[in-house]
Amino acid sequence: MTRSDAEPKARGAVEYGTDLAAPHMLWAALVRSPIPHGRIVRMDLGPAREMPGVVAVVGPDDLRDLLPKGALEAERPVFPLDEIRYRGEPIAAVAAETLEQARAAAAAVAPELESLRVDARIEDIFPEWPSEAAAKDPRVVGHVHARYGDLDAKFRNAELVHSETYRTSGVHQVAIEPHACLAEVRDGTFHVRSSTQTPFGVRDDLASILGVPPSRLVVEGTWVGGGFGGKGAAFLEPYAVLLAVASGRPVKLSLTFEEEFELGRTTLPSIIRLDTAVSRGRIVGRRVRLLLDTGASLPGRDFAVGYSIGFLLGPYRTEAYEIEGFALQTNQPPFGPHRAPFAPQSVFALESHIDGLARRLGVDPIEFRKLHAWREGDRTAYDQPVGPFGLEAGLEAAARTAGVWRTGLPPGHGIGVACGFWSTATGAGGEARLRLRPNGLTILQGEREIGNGSVIRGLAAVAERVLGLPDDAIRVEYGDTATAPFDSGVFGSRTLGALGQAVEKAARSLAHTLASRVGAPAIRLEMKNDQVVVVAGRRRQKLADLLTPAERTAGGVVALGKHYAPERTVDASRVLAGTVYPYQDFTAAVHLAEVEVDRETGHVRVVRYAAFQDVGVAVDPPGLTGQVEGGVVMGLGTALSEEMLWTPEGRLANPGLLDYRLPRIRDVPPIHVKTIEGFAGAGPFGAKGVGEPPIIPVPAAVANAVADATGTRVFELPLTPERVARALKLL
Amino acid sequence: MSDGPLTLTLNGKLRQFEKVPDSERLLDTLRWRAGLKGTKEGCRTGGCGACTVLVNGEPTLSCLLLSHEIDAEKVTTIEGLASEKIGRVVIKAFTEAGAVQCGYCTPGFVVALAAQLRGAGPPPSVESLLDGLEGNLCRCTGYRAIQKAVEAVHEALK
Ligand code: FES
Ligand code: FES
Repeated sequence: MTRSDAEPKARGAVEYGTDLAAPHMLWAALVRSPIPHGRIVRMDLGPAREMPGVVAVVGPDDLRDLLPKGALEAERPVFPLDEIRYRGEPIAAVAAETLEQARAAAAAVAPELESLRVDARIEDIFPEWPSEAAAKDPRVVGHVHARYGDLDAKFRNAELVHSETYRTSGVHQVAIEPHACLAEVRDGTFHVRSSTQTPFGVRDDLASILGVPPSRLVVEGTWVGGGFGGKGAAFLEPYAVLLAVASGRPVKLSLTFEEEFELGRTTLPSIIRLDTAVSRGRIVGRRVRLLLDTGASLPGRDFAVGYSIGFLLGPYRTEAYEIEGFALQTNQPPFGPHRAPFAPQSVFALESHIDGLARRLGVDPIEFRKLHAWREGDRTAYDQPVGPFGLEAGLEAAARTAGVWRTGLPPGHGIGVACGFWSTATGAGGEARLRLRPNGLTILQGEREIGNGSVIRGLAAVAERVLGLPDDAIRVEYGDTATAPFDSGVFGSRTLGALGQAVEKAARSLAHTLASRVGAPAIRLEMKNDQVVVVAGRRRQKLADLLTPAERTAGGVVALGKHYAPERTVDASRVLAGTVYPYQDFTAAVHLAEVEVDRETGHVRVVRYAAFQDVGVAVDPPGLTGQVEGGVVMGLGTALSEEMLWTPEGRLANPGLLDYRLPRIRDVPPIHVKTIEGFAGAGPFGAKGVGEPPIIPVPAAVANAVADATGTRVFELPLTPERVARALKLL
Repeated sequence: MSDGPLTLTLNGKLRQFEKVPDSERLLDTLRWRAGLKGTKEGCRTGGCGACTVLVNGEPTLSCLLLSHEIDAEKVTTIEGLASEKIGRVVIKAFTEAGAVQCGYCTPGFVVALAAQLRGAGPPPSVESLLDGLEGNLCRCTGYRAIQKAVEAVHEALK
């Protein structure tokens, strides 16, 4: 099945955010703070306003004049009103006739700044595990603490306690398309076109940042040149809108790659301490302690800790545990979601830890995981029943493949396994409007295709499956936030699972309408000579002949489908501080990596890879394979080379592709993708989303393979040659 | 060099541009003066390959090149290649192999691959074709499908 967007994209014929333009458009540039923490003492924007081509310059002092009062009261206003919190934070913005002129004027702004003390890294705040009083530190912006069972007794009576500390690094999404948007003001309404994963999310963010009601905002998505979580919230849009207000002209703003890196909204470092108690060969208790760098975030970041910490208990039965984590405000840019936010890093720690424990106990790492793996009906750490879950089946399939790989494994090679889990079908909900015309079906909804195919192909595949129409008779249409039905956004692997349910319901309602019209219990649709034909048993009728006169004028039969996420609950009595989250459904991934480790340089080469993905039901098999391959390779970057390097002075040492190394075409090993079906998820027909799960186990699988090859464990991501060499005592 | 006019043979047609600043890069001339936005803007620092075009038949990163440096020379962009036979073969292979997800990297890959196949005679080996794509980054596909597209093109031209 060939995606309808593939050919035009390959020809360069679709419009992304970076391609946006409008008549009389101005180009914008940001003035960014040269210091990571401090205050603006004085900033004279006058000289920049006089520079050639400059039409508008706006800074913190202009918010009062240009925007409603609410803009000054926003949780995070367009520009910092009190403190600068990270190096590169935008403190003013310029719009000019050309991009060069805008950048020249931005560079000419020379604010007088007062520096404050810099907390660049976790260690600057808590060099040791924090005492109880530490939770009150103002730099703690999130705190979660949960407990269950008699953990002290488990540890007292344990035969063995396995204790380790892991560290992870910041990684960037690096979509190849930089962020870009275009804003204009028309009839008192702010119109924004943006390369975004969440048009409705951007609208609502903008409303609060600008202090205007959502009804005065229209956000339209463009084709997105890769998102991976990085294009999920208002980011550049507020600056562009402000400049459009100040200049009265359309304003285009896009980032350089240096800005992409320095403005962040990425994964940031973590330190994870795990203690696991074992009795009679089984895990009986775990203590988890987590320090999470959330950069220049504001208080209220419990969710970052809550999500991370769930992964540290894993998809495993736990008799007793205590978990505690802190989100820390540092002078790095604010953290942001990155494909499967918080999971690959936490899973690296947990799955390395479990692997090491299995080896210490002298048991097979796959069997050891099977011993504890959640099965349907088990309870999660917060007492939610586990739904259909393909973990055990995935482990069994992985064991067979590992057995084959083991035979004839060359010296210096090793095999590692790791498990991951994820909850798909998340978000508040989604709506879709289907219109069946005599010549085909259109699906109107609010998302643009970000690349994974979940919109343009996934939604069509759902309708195809319900109605029987072929893919080329189905068109997915987009609207802006004023015209399209609502949807939460393309994130969280939720498009197929959640928005797909809206499409499924609408398609079923269409089928129902037509069935009653032809007086049959059920119908399906076919195309014949470009005409939709309704088939009921042996009877076939052209849709055109079944329409009412009004429908003929309106253009077909319409159905609206909506899916709002069902409430799920957790046992709050286990939670002493902060919030933890229930899951919508349970998606497993089991990965195997074979690596070769160079005993002189510490270089790790991934020789082959296998991913066993729990999908419920495969709705679009080629698309699914592409998601798994893409996720695995992105995970190989996290595992082996990607790392944002922050100096103690709060400067990013590698803000670009020359020193931040992504996987390239020759780095990629053969990847065997196998689906695990039959464990139904919350999505249509029992489907589970697959956008994120495939990245989750990768760093752990690679690290475990390195440990298998060398007998030595590396406790920090990424496994660069230097780190591996150090662990092997080569350096 | 001057802040003056620029002439290019662009996709086979002679094009003249007035008042092109000295500092303007070919990428911007193509996208914003010639309106050829199929050439994508990625890192602007030579690190991603999204901006690849052919200059006198050679694959070139248009973000690193000042337009005046190639005054009067021949430039072929994705729009031009898409109407050549080899361009069509490569685009078809990418499309059918599922090698296009967000598609932002794709025109760069298509140009970098087609560049190696425009000569007469049998195509270079798959290995050497892949070597020629080392400068092109794709963040979506994990490259497996792109490798398949390369193999398919190689097979088709053998
Ligand atoms: S934009 Fe030219 S190499 Fe990245
Ligand atoms: S398809 Fe998205 S970067 Fe290659």
